[in-house]
Amino acid sequence: MLGRVIGTFLPRLLPATHSTLATYPPHASALLRPLHTSHSRCLKEIVVEEQEGGDTVVKGQYLPSPNAHLLVKPDGEAGKACPLCALDLDVKHTDVLILSQFMRSDGSVLPRRVTGLCSKQQRRITWLVIMAQKAGLMPNLAPATSKRDPSRRYGSKKFNRYFDENTLPK
Amino acid sequence: MSAARRVQQWATFGRMWYLYDGKWQNPLESADKIVPYLDGSHKPIFHPLNDSGDHVVVINSRDIALPGDEWEKRVYFHHTGYAGGATWTLAWQLHEADPTMIIRKTVYNKLSKNLLRRGRLARLHIFPDDKVPDSILKNVSAQMRQLRPVPRRLDHYPQEELENFPKIFDWPKDHVIN
Repeated sequence: MLGRVIGTFLPRLLPATHSTLATYPPHASALLRPLHTSHSRCLKEIVVEEQEGGDTVVKGQYLPSPNAHLLVKPDGEAGKACPLCALDLDVKHTDVLILSQFMRSDGSVLPRRVTGLCSKQQRRITWLVIMAQKAGLMPNLAPATSKRDPSRRYGSKKFNRYFDENTLPK
Repeated sequence: MSAARRVQQWATFGRMWYLYDGKWQNPLESADKIVPYLDGSHKPIFHPLNDSGDHVVVINSRDIALPGDEWEKRVYFHHTGYAGGATWTLAWQLHEADPTMIIRKTVYNKLSKNLLRRGRLARLHIFPDDKVPDSILKNVSAQMRQLRPVPRRLDHYPQEELENFPKIFDWPKDHVIN
């Protein structure tokens, strides 16, 4: 999963580049050895400012989002609606590039607090994700214990199936 | 009659061989499309007494798709004729036993019910995958259009396309992805 990943045992303020590590005592670099199983992108970076009078200010500043330049955001009155209502998209369960944006790497759907959708769209996206998962279109977004390959599923689940979005609850 | 017109006459009454890819296609909708090719009613020269049906080669019949829960709900009935000889086979069980059977049965049921039915069905060649014998493949000269688009799996997109696809929303600034 691409994204901003923070190691659990690392301090949240670990800088992406180690150029500011010189401010730490010499033995600190051994404690802050970077250990990542995936590409690491920190939320914050450390900014060290020398002020007049000998004071040193160390701040944690939020980094800009890596997706900022890809964001589709309509201007004006439409921009006030939820992201999907504003774009007026007819999302199908086969549009996995859109659906995967609302999901975690284990296949669960992100909450409304994160997605910012209205309740209607959030419910629709949840159903579409279920459809896409049953159709085997997103086998890489699944719990680690799952079989991943749709053709190895049990019984009737291994065969191709598609869904009609008109059957969704209103 | 000139030589060109004579060849056109032969070609008009000749048998065509069509290829149909069954991948992610509904067999019931596909049968509606295949049946006119088998009995020849898609041709302007069609007449009930005119033997003008074409051959259809269906490939990838193992990868057909059914909508919703039809794999579990669609039932194929058979009776041996003896008492207690009735069996009801679910669509997915029949498909597991023989991946060409669902398409063949569907087309057979949609062909017109007369003495020509078996002969027309004999012009339907079904293969569970894309391995077709050369003796059949050498005759194929046209391909039938698929009825529904084949969906693309998320893990089959290149990484570059995944990263550069437009984003609907941005995470809250303190959101950490797990």
